[in-house]
Amino acid sequence: MNSKLADAAAGEGPREAAPAARIGTASTLLMLVRRELWEHRALWIAPLVVAALMVCGAVVAGLKYHLTHGDMSGEDRPGGMAMFAVMQGAASTPLSVVSLIVLAFYLLDCLYAERKDRSILFWKSLPVSDDKTVLSKLLVALLVVPLGVFALGLLLSLLFTGIWEVNAAFGRVPPIPGWDMLGWLKAEIALLACLIVGVLWYAPYAAYLLLVSAWARRTPFLWATLPPVVAQIVEHFTFDTHYLRDLLVYRTYGIWPTLFGHMQVGRGRAFALGAALDRLNLGAALTDRNLWIGLAVAAAMVFGAIRLRRYRDDT
Amino acid sequence: MTAVIEARGLAKAYGATRALDGVSFSVEAGRIVGLIGPNGAGKTTALKAILGLTPFRGELQVLGLDPRTQRDELMREVCFMADVAVLPRWLRVSQALEVVGGVHPRFDRARATEFLSKTDIRMQSRVRELSKGMVTQLHLALILAIDARLLVLDEPTLGLDLLYRRKFYDTLLNDYFDKERTILLTTHQVEEVENLFTDVIFINHGRVALSSSVEALGGRYQQLNVSAEAAPTARALQPFYEREVFGRVAMLFEGRSAAELRGFGELRTPSIADLFVAKMQGTPST
Repeated sequence: MNSKLADAAAGEGPREAAPAARIGTASTLLMLVRRELWEHRALWIAPLVVAALMVCGAVVAGLKYHLTHGDMSGEDRPGGMAMFAVMQGAASTPLSVVSLIVLAFYLLDCLYAERKDRSILFWKSLPVSDDKTVLSKLLVALLVVPLGVFALGLLLSLLFTGIWEVNAAFGRVPPIPGWDMLGWLKAEIALLACLIVGVLWYAPYAAYLLLVSAWARRTPFLWATLPPVVAQIVEHFTFDTHYLRDLLVYRTYGIWPTLFGHMQVGRGRAFALGAALDRLNLGAALTDRNLWIGLAVAAAMVFGAIRLRRYRDDT
Repeated sequence: MTAVIEARGLAKAYGATRALDGVSFSVEAGRIVGLIGPNGAGKTTALKAILGLTPFRGELQVLGLDPRTQRDELMREVCFMADVAVLPRWLRVSQALEVVGGVHPRFDRARATEFLSKTDIRMQSRVRELSKGMVTQLHLALILAIDARLLVLDEPTLGLDLLYRRKFYDTLLNDYFDKERTILLTTHQVEEVENLFTDVIFINHGRVALSSSVEALGGRYQQLNVSAEAAPTARALQPFYEREVFGRVAMLFEGRSAAELRGFGELRTPSIADLFVAKMQGTPST
């Protein structure tokens, strides 16, 4: 092997000038996003595994259980839109839960692990600015994975529909009433609106995790979780108040009543979701003052993470 | 000719420890500069300042840019390699080529591939599957394919066996170095690479103890080997360092002409390693 390297050293002709091509911001970011998906494979493997399990489950359930008493064409049948939305919502929920967990760990790890294993010295030897690097991680969490989960949920709902139709053909379940293209499109738009509002509303959480990841010298998980918990306990015993808890609860659920126009979702009637989706108040959600305050705070925390990555030196 | 690196009064403290305490030096284009110092002398801090990896006080221009404010621009012209273990362990060789090619405007992928084809490194291997020597070869392949003006190496061969070390420096010299390029290198293994350097900078306790071209060292420093009997008379010429070897005394002089010393014994130019030891022991500890 060593002699081969010597050959490599000796046997090369005169050096040709490397092409000093311009590389645009968009293609750099695309490359960085791909890099994230190479390193953190759980980001796409976990949802795919869950999706595969769900498809298997649907096939087995179709073979095993028969549902012959229901009738989906009666007077009170849900609108096509509601049905599609429920189908896709059911498909997307497990995917979203798994993705949120994987994303939380990803965000906590992505700026910490590179310092821990010193690979940051390699990444920093490349002409990539800290803002682009941090932005690429944010893009993964707020754009690439959410859109991926949405697309996978859509694919799954189509697969489930297909499985249902096959079962219906064998008389194991009642047939689905005719395909309602307009209803389907409306459902997709409504679900996408929910996704956008959700991403914007939860962006401060993502930014917080990035900031902790850039800051912590060890155990970023504890640094991310302990201070809020301890602060709540201290607040409770010192002032007998719970502003922090209220804030966290609000930051977790607060936007959904605004988006759904204060409708009660669920309440034993699955198809209420469809009705709610039909009357989404996207305008109210997107003009919500607290949504924008949250985004401003998120931007500040991302800026903090960029500054920290610039000079944090524990290699 | 403008300097590639122009440092004036660099200072940096970690708590009470002064890692850099007013460091000034300059590096011209087309040189191979050894930045040499004992552990904790401030070498790595100086490199980090040059690479914009750490804040510091003082004036510093690298390729005419300020590493504090113009780092993104600077890194298009500068390559660096900290010691071997910094390539991400999950990275595949093919991915390494793709990612560097994807973000570096001066990376020539064909050149890196050609270099790698002459090694035992396979494109599908992950870094964690490679031996330490192979990881260094991979990193070297990436660096050789980047058309940079300044290459900074911080202990690049630490923990490698002699064969890999020798190959590393041979490749660097034959395949990479030319008159437009500058290499700044820190190492512990001074004896092994001292023939490589065109310039040396000794750094100790955050200060520059010596900064000189290698050619100029011969005129400035003399090593005189005298017998024990002749030593007291030679000592009157004030050597700044002396050492006894097998009954003879090796003395190092600064600023004495060869004519002054020749009469006392055998005269030679000190090796960089000897000079380094002498300078480090001559400098008072703080």
